[in-house]
Amino acid sequence: MSNTQDEAVTRLDSAVAEVFETMLERSCDPLEGEVDTVEGRIVARIQFTGAVDGECLLYASQATASVTAEALLGTPSEPHDPMVDDAIGELCNMIAGGWKSKLASPDSNCTISTPAVTRNGLEGYQAKFGTKFSRKYSFQGNVFGVVLAF
Amino acid sequence: MRALIIDDSAVMRKVIERALRQAGLELSEVLQASNGEEALQTLRDNQGSGGLALILSDINMPVMDGLQFLEARKQENLALGVPVVMITTEGNESFVLRAIAAGAQGYICKPFTAEQVKARVLPLLRAA
Repeated sequence: MSNTQDEAVTRLDSAVAEVFETMLERSCDPLEGEVDTVEGRIVARIQFTGAVDGECLLYASQATASVTAEALLGTPSEPHDPMVDDAIGELCNMIAGGWKSKLASPDSNCTISTPAVTRNGLEGYQAKFGTKFSRKYSFQGNVFGVVLAF
Repeated sequence: MRALIIDDSAVMRKVIERALRQAGLELSEVLQASNGEEALQTLRDNQGSGGLALILSDINMPVMDGLQFLEARKQENLALGVPVVMITTEGNESFVLRAIAAGAQGYICKPFTAEQVKARVLPLLRAA
């Protein structure tokens, strides 16, 4: 990986860990090496505009999304509860915002969109940006993925 | 005590309300709005009913964002004595300065803990 990509990955790992420890009171670690493909049915997307143009996608299975929503809200949620989509969108928002806040000026002079959440999975997804990487993370055995492209 | 929470995410509104209660605030009622426009309407509807002690608002929202809400609130002279705390992922200096200039008294960056909410909110309530 290039230095730029190494730094972006380090910032992303740090942003993910921070969000999980603070808001969900759980540790969340990056998965290294070979990882089974994450079933990415629920996908949240945040766009960066300005000094950095790009996007951050968070994808998770329905089961992982439900556990995440439950951890965030502190109450059980049904798989098709709209709060599950909302929780995944907010998680993506906080991770993208955390990643952005760790950028040095002038790159940090960009705005982030509100989250858009779909249940169409990642099939057919192609990043329009030059640098793209994908990381997978696990909390309590629940795996989700993050794609960062800019 | 009554508080108004403005955020386009229903999840975040719940999380913020929980943090306020964990911070020890005795909330008799929590009004909610999903964007600045709804929040203005809520303030208009509650004019004269008194008792609104605190407004917490996201910045990045559809329809009317948090900064536009602050400006519109000032123009309409709505609840100007009530402290406003911005809660946002946009923690950079320019956003914060714009929010303060528009009438916010403080800000909290997401992600946040209940302790951080308490540390920001309680001094404002004591001073109000």
